[in-house]
Amino acid sequence: MTFRTCAYEKELRQALKDGHWPAGCLPELRDHVLACSSCSDLVLVTEAFQQARKRSSEEVPQTSNLLWWRAQLQRRRTAAEQVTRPITVAQTFAWAVSVLAAVAFAISQHHHGLRWASWWSEVAPLRLFHLAPSVTHNLDWKLFLIPTIGALALVSGVLVYLVSEKS
Amino acid sequence: MDREAFAGFYQRSAPALRAYLVRVSGNSALADDLLQESYLRFLCAKQPEGGEVNFRRYLFRIATNLLRDHWRKPKHGCLEEIPDQFLIAQDVSSQVDLQAALGLAMARMRPRDRQLLWLAHAEGYSHQEIAEITGLATASIRLLLFRARRKMARLLRKHMAGDRSLT
Repeated sequence: MTFRTCAYEKELRQALKDGHWPAGCLPELRDHVLACSSCSDLVLVTEAFQQARKRSSEEVPQTSNLLWWRAQLQRRRTAAEQVTRPITVAQTFAWAVSVLAAVAFAISQHHHGLRWASWWSEVAPLRLFHLAPSVTHNLDWKLFLIPTIGALALVSGVLVYLVSEKS
Repeated sequence: MDREAFAGFYQRSAPALRAYLVRVSGNSALADDLLQESYLRFLCAKQPEGGEVNFRRYLFRIATNLLRDHWRKPKHGCLEEIPDQFLIAQDVSSQVDLQAALGLAMARMRPRDRQLLWLAHAEGYSHQEIAEITGLATASIRLLLFRARRKMARLLRKHMAGDRSLT
């Protein structure tokens, strides 16, 4: 198939677009269209499509109000998701840090023969309420591990929230 | 864009967009769905600058992408499988021969060719504008349109000759 552009095509295309074809065109152009297969194709196809468009344009679709309100709802939903995303990310991160710390602690204790169970029973809750200087001196460092993990998770969550909200 | 402006824009653009979707998809119900989705996406997205001409082009681009997404879904059949009666105009007028032939010819064209032909000959878009809407290269549009138009003209003549021979 050969691809060539007729010299009259631009003029003919404009005449068809403006609705000047055929009455508003020079006889020379009309004669050319009869002889030129490319231009006669252009006329035939353009007229067919323009008629189809004109007839289809008479069918007016439904009102725009429903679409407008649906778009507003969708916008609000998207905005709400964007607002709550930092909170969700922070919560997820805090949970992940807590779980990781707990797992790390459990694994470290497992390597030492699960001494944490006996350690916990030794550190009786009552002792916490009688923190005399002599007692606190004897407390194991592990007593502070759980609150530290909790604080770490909380602070990490807050930090992630602040960072993601800013972004 | 506020509600009033959208209502006006919808009234002016919806018939043309629906005609494009109906003729290219060959399915009125699908065209109505895609029409609504096109406007929803248009309203929820950041609209282009430059006024209504650019709004329309952007809208056609959204609709073209939706059509492409629809065709890519494996559950939907190719448009070539759609019965001809869906593509033939239902009403009767003086150009019934040409319109009936157009419906039959459209059913035998590839979806991309249908899009290109409609955008070029019904909407009157330039090659550059069609390239922006379809995502194809401007250089390719020229050749693709030439081939599609030639095929369409051949099919139109064939179907119109067939109609006349029947009557």
